[in-house]
Amino acid sequence: MTEPLVVFENVVKRFGNFEAVKQLNLNVHEGEFLALMGPSGCGKTTTLRMLAGLEEPSEGDIRLAGKSLVGVKPHERDTPMVWQSLALFPFLNARENVEFGLKMRGMDGVERKRKAFEWLERLGIGEFSERDVNSLSGGQRQRVALARALVTEPGILLLDEPLSALDANLVIRMQAVLTKLQRELGITFVYVTHSQSEAFAMADRVVIMSKGEISQIGTPRDIYRTPANRFVAEFVGRNNIFSGRVNKRGAIDTEAGTLHVDRKLPVGDFVSFVVAADLVAISLSKPKERNVIAAHLISEEFVGSMVTLFFEATGGTEIKVQAQERALEGILRTPGQLLYLSFNASSSHVLKY
Amino acid sequence: MSEHRSDNSAYALAWRLPMILWQGLFFIGPLIFMIAMSFFLVKNYRMEPALQVGNWTKTLSRGFFWDSYFLTLWLAGLAVIITTCVAFPASCFLAFRVSDLARRWAIFFLIIPFFTSYLVRIFAWQVILAQQGVINAGFSLFGIGPYTMLNTKFGTMIGYLTLCLPLAVILQTFSLANIDKRLVEAAHNLGCGRLRTIFTVVVPLAKTGLIVAAVFCFILSFGDFVAPYYLGGSKPPTLSIMIIDTSKSGQQWPRAAVVAIMMIVTMLVVALTAIGYAYRKRR
Repeated sequence: MTEPLVVFENVVKRFGNFEAVKQLNLNVHEGEFLALMGPSGCGKTTTLRMLAGLEEPSEGDIRLAGKSLVGVKPHERDTPMVWQSLALFPFLNARENVEFGLKMRGMDGVERKRKAFEWLERLGIGEFSERDVNSLSGGQRQRVALARALVTEPGILLLDEPLSALDANLVIRMQAVLTKLQRELGITFVYVTHSQSEAFAMADRVVIMSKGEISQIGTPRDIYRTPANRFVAEFVGRNNIFSGRVNKRGAIDTEAGTLHVDRKLPVGDFVSFVVAADLVAISLSKPKERNVIAAHLISEEFVGSMVTLFFEATGGTEIKVQAQERALEGILRTPGQLLYLSFNASSSHVLKY
Repeated sequence: MSEHRSDNSAYALAWRLPMILWQGLFFIGPLIFMIAMSFFLVKNYRMEPALQVGNWTKTLSRGFFWDSYFLTLWLAGLAVIITTCVAFPASCFLAFRVSDLARRWAIFFLIIPFFTSYLVRIFAWQVILAQQGVINAGFSLFGIGPYTMLNTKFGTMIGYLTLCLPLAVILQTFSLANIDKRLVEAAHNLGCGRLRTIFTVVVPLAKTGLIVAAVFCFILSFGDFVAPYYLGGSKPPTLSIMIIDTSKSGQQWPRAAVVAIMMIVTMLVVALTAIGYAYRKRR
């Protein structure tokens, strides 16, 4: 059996007394788009920087294609990275920036120039090849940074929040550029982000990290529908979390009312479960469902054709509902209005407790 | 509205006036006078106003002047090269390898030499470099020497470095410390080794600061009188010594003015060329 492309084995990284990464075990498979996601300070960037050799692990082993990277200098690794700040060289023009990696590998001038231009063309900015990088727009600079990292045809590309400085429109466009590139090249992308939408839109697998540890690894769908613990459920912002004690009939007494889940739970236990915001239905009159919550509309957020409605139920429980704008036709939506929210017991996911 | 503006400009002028007066009285005025004086005539050890180019043609046609000119240029150039090369590794160390606190202390210690007068420091060097001085006494313990260090170009160079080195390290350290470290990481990431990164990335990024430090060295050394006089033995003379000699011998103030103007022009040309290069924009 061949080993995955990248293996982190019991990796620990300490900065002084602070453990930035604790006992990390992680495999990255060849050709996958892996996102490392988590709040700031969770160790995701440190993990990426260890892979690039910009930080040395305090303990453990990191292997790339079966070979240990411990002690290998950053410039001896083939792990190009795209920085959040892009880190383009301001004293070089766009083409010279792209040529940099080739020059370090000793490629001759003519071939280098041709190859750099080819990559700039491929990313749609061939016409700006001789321009000063500071005179380019954010999106163009982004493409120069990508071309610079990819021109040496590496087996893996590391990306450290590369889109976080761009405006929303451009982020969507660059996401498409990235996913298309990754599929065409068939190389592995390791992508660090704090943005759930970026990770979920592009990644094959998402690693959720918290306080230096992995909270969950899974497909975006797994993480959204079946979060492993409360941290993941809360971090994935489109979940509703309910908690309460299991009563004698097997239902859960929450502050928002007695709710049913499709799992047998020991009576008397305190449990939490999540219901994804898009699995909650809204109606004007009380529906004939088992899980019904009466709640007042607080506000709504409108993004494209999707609407997120924020409700407050009795006991102060906040509930989010996500729906297609069209599906809400005929339902009055004025703040303060009382509406009935319902969900299927099978839509719930009980968190480990 | 316009009244308000004129009030405003009168107020602004009031603040600027002292500076304008100072510069006018003590810089522009003397400079113009010196230029005028370079055309004056000296008769029977007395200077009288005139408009004749004799001082210029006599000074500039003498091999003696040009020997001194190129000697001064060469010594100042050498001081720039040595200072830059000695200061750069130290500045790199302070900028990249030590903590912010250690760097602040280092800068403080580099400022300390300026607490004492440059002249005093040069006299201290005389004690150290003399034939019976500290260094030769040390050498004699091993049965070598004594070496003549005072009244040589080596002595002059020690003086120039005393003047320039702390300032050059401070200026270089500031410009290197301001480099975006991520660019250095990016260079490593793209396969550029440590030493190569210094020359392909760090030097271009710190270019402006490095050139400004070099320009300071040049101006300070080129115009310095103390080091070549007290440590260099004044023979052959640098231009600053030549000014003193010329003005003393036979009251030749006009010819000294010619030498001074030549020095000012040289420093202006070097400084402006270097600064222009430092701030040159790419396309």
